[in-house]
Amino acid sequence: MPITLEKVSHTYQAGSPFQATALHEIDLTIEDGELLALIGHTGSGKSTLAQHLNGLLQPTSGRVLLDGQDINRKDHNKRALRFQVGLVFQYPEYQLFEETVAKDIGFGPRNMGLSQQEVDDRVREAMDMLGLPYDEIAEKSPFELSGGQMRRVALAGVLAMRPRVLVLDEPTAGLDPRARDFLLNDVSRLHAGGTTVVMISHSMDDVARLATRVAVLAKGSLNMVGTPREVFSQVERLGAMGLDVPQASKLRWMLAKEGLALPECYLLDDLADALAAALKGGAPDAP
Amino acid sequence: MLRDITLGQYYPVDSPVHRLDPRVKILLTMAFIVCVFLVGSPLGYVPIVAYLALASHLARLPYKMMLKALRPLRILLVFTFVLNLFFGTGQTELIRVGFIRITQEGLLNAVHFSLRLIFLVTGSSILTLTTAPVTLTDGLERLASPLKIIRFPAHEMAMMMTIALRFIPTLAEEADKIMKAQSARGADFTTGSLRQRARALIPLLVPLFVSAFRRAGDLAMAMESRCYRGGEGRTRLNVLRIRRGDWLAMGSMVLLFAVVLLMKRYV
Ligand SMILES: Nc1ncnc2c1ncn2[C@@H]1O[C@H](COP(=O)(O)OP(=O)(O)O)[C@@H](O)[C@H]1O
Ligand SMILES: [Mg+2]
Repeated sequence: MPITLEKVSHTYQAGSPFQATALHEIDLTIEDGELLALIGHTGSGKSTLAQHLNGLLQPTSGRVLLDGQDINRKDHNKRALRFQVGLVFQYPEYQLFEETVAKDIGFGPRNMGLSQQEVDDRVREAMDMLGLPYDEIAEKSPFELSGGQMRRVALAGVLAMRPRVLVLDEPTAGLDPRARDFLLNDVSRLHAGGTTVVMISHSMDDVARLATRVAVLAKGSLNMVGTPREVFSQVERLGAMGLDVPQASKLRWMLAKEGLALPECYLLDDLADALAAALKGGAPDAP
Repeated sequence: MLRDITLGQYYPVDSPVHRLDPRVKILLTMAFIVCVFLVGSPLGYVPIVAYLALASHLARLPYKMMLKALRPLRILLVFTFVLNLFFGTGQTELIRVGFIRITQEGLLNAVHFSLRLIFLVTGSSILTLTTAPVTLTDGLERLASPLKIIRFPAHEMAMMMTIALRFIPTLAEEADKIMKAQSARGADFTTGSLRQRARALIPLLVPLFVSAFRRAGDLAMAMESRCYRGGEGRTRLNVLRIRRGDWLAMGSMVLLFAVVLLMKRYV
């Protein structure tokens, strides 16, 4: 179920004095089963792009295709689309509203028109997936939980719809390191389970660890798309855009400037191996 | 979509009218309203139109923006016109079809009162279009400060208005975001019976209130930590000053008064 963006442009408040072009002729395909990381400076249009994937925003020009069908045509079922492409906004814990955690997570499934039994099953399943203890917190008010738990409850609320594509807008922003590791493990596990994931992130090390492909947005245009290896080798080009690279890429680049050339790598473990091999004088293992 | 309403009326360009002292602009608007009420016949509106045209030209306002201010009023306008037209009590009959009777006086009144309404609204819209809401409350505070003698809390009122105005766009943005987030979970805000739609608002309103209270708490804390303790002894960053442009504007208003009064007398 690939999602294809064809020359998608988006202008906010077109025709008013406040008009702002947030996206400019984006061409991008999100393939089944991949974990695409979307990186870019604040204001580069990442969130705007994310909201096009489930039809919350419509392109000012261009098309968004799901399985080859234009999702913004009148006859396309927008609500069914929302259940297939689950979008988790930035700071999703601020959307919690129900009296209990279970009811809040069940909001999406209830909107799908499922039976109460089915809704309950899905709530349990989603909570299990994210390691939320059902017996302990299902009947609690979501407002009593810790920040990290609230975030995972909000994520569970989207997972309970069993979306085939999961879009995450800065899922780790504002979390402490522990909660952040938990959440990234969850994402990694979901991806391993076959869900297509699109993740917006400012942490290049997280991106390096998880992504199968990286897309770089700059001022509303797609600047680079490629494997993490391809993208993160462009240390200077990313730097010019005000973007960081993973620590390993940076270190490798600095060593190269000092005359120590190492094979391409962007994970610290790989870099350590490559460095050890280079210092021993032998050829390094494949990174 | 929600962002559209919330920026309110203010039309952010730089112009001599935008730069006028807000106190002067408020007083001039009041004077203008009095002026409109002084006009005695449809012909007397000619100087009013000229004044409005000059002001909006100087303010670099597109006519479209001023017409937009009239939109909410269109039903009232039609009503005013029709009521005066058909139920006037004049003598000179123009048309009579069955019991419907239109007199010359009725027609004149209909035009007269509709024009009065139109000019009142467009005139005051120039004030709101050219003055940022916060500047406007600043001006109001200064104008109302003599009332402090009778214990009218001018500063506190203005501060409350400023805070409210400051947070309207923020809350609207937040509402927009929450609405989208709930739509992403299949919430439906636009269809269904009235009851269903009212229920559908709960997922929007609960988070919105929670966040409004959180913001209020944060703001109170931030103000206290910067030693805010009301208006007493507080000085200003931007001191309002009457400048040449303000004197010119006031002069133009005196002129408008003179012309309107003279026309009332001799035309
Ligand atoms: N609702 C909106 N109305 C007007 N402009 C907006 C709105 N949302 C975002 N923008 C503008 O669009 C641009 C891209 O924003 P966004 O997609 O949120 O960027 P990012 O998520 O990469 O930080 C920014 O310049 C932002 O100011
Ligand atoms: Mg964003």
